[in-house]
Amino acid sequence: MGLISDGTTIFDAGAMASGFGSSMVFIKKLTASSSGTLTFVNGSSGVVLDSTYKEYMFVFQDLHPASNGVELEFQGTIADPSSSYNQTITSTLFKAGHGEDGSGDSFNYEADADQQQGDGFQDIARYVGNGNDESVCGKLSLYDPSSTAHVKHFMANTQMYHASDEAENCFTAGYFNTTAGLTRFQFKFSSGNIDAGTITLYGIK
Amino acid sequence: MPRYHNINGENVQFTAAEETARDNEETAWTNAAPARALADLRSRRNRLLAETDFWGTSDMTMSDDMTTYRQALRDFPNGKDTVDKCEKATWPTKP
Repeated sequence: MGLISDGTTIFDAGAMASGFGSSMVFIKKLTASSSGTLTFVNGSSGVVLDSTYKEYMFVFQDLHPASNGVELEFQGTIADPSSSYNQTITSTLFKAGHGEDGSGDSFNYEADADQQQGDGFQDIARYVGNGNDESVCGKLSLYDPSSTAHVKHFMANTQMYHASDEAENCFTAGYFNTTAGLTRFQFKFSSGNIDAGTITLYGIK
Repeated sequence: MPRYHNINGENVQFTAAEETARDNEETAWTNAAPARALADLRSRRNRLLAETDFWGTSDMTMSDDMTTYRQALRDFPNGKDTVDKCEKATWPTKP
């Protein structure tokens, strides 16, 4: 017997009906292995980062830095392969933390991590530890990166093992202040390689 | 050891210019470590001061111990010019 709501079949015979459950589409998973960067480029190896979707989501799974106390950061750029990852960003960042020993409980605006029309890589996690069991996880949503009418907004929420043995929840938001379409995005740590972990890209219908 | 981009799942070696740029980034990041550690220490110090700010209101009388504690917090960043000094510092005890 199927699951029917207001005359519409949602599940039937153990399967989801066509049109349901397909709003979040897997695009690509990159696995770090002592990688300098993890970079998504539209148009090759199955990567779609254009007007196909109005929203894209990057999911960070246990990114482990080679260096201790580093920032996870990202930038984007246009399709031209000769262009650098230095788009103009205005952004904001705050975080909450709590230490394993009860110290370090905090709720801070991080004035040294925001950008005012800057062109640097944007921090989305700060002071990530590199102990064997330490890493950062989270998500970054990117809205309509191919729009030629509007700036490109983004919002990230990450949870990390802080280098000082604290749980830290970091909230970052901002926009690329350009009306050019952005089709390439790069992630790296502020120093050292990304030893391990994955970033998965999804398109949101 | 050369660095590599993972671009869409394929390893692409950094160009010489990218290696130089990354080396410079990492040097700058390393050189700024004491300043980052001191900023982190100041941030925690400010939170601890804020926790006891209410003792300074007109209808409260601040004890000598609290006055000493708060002055120690204000002085705490003095001389903390290395990461090690910042991270291994012993914080004043709240009365």
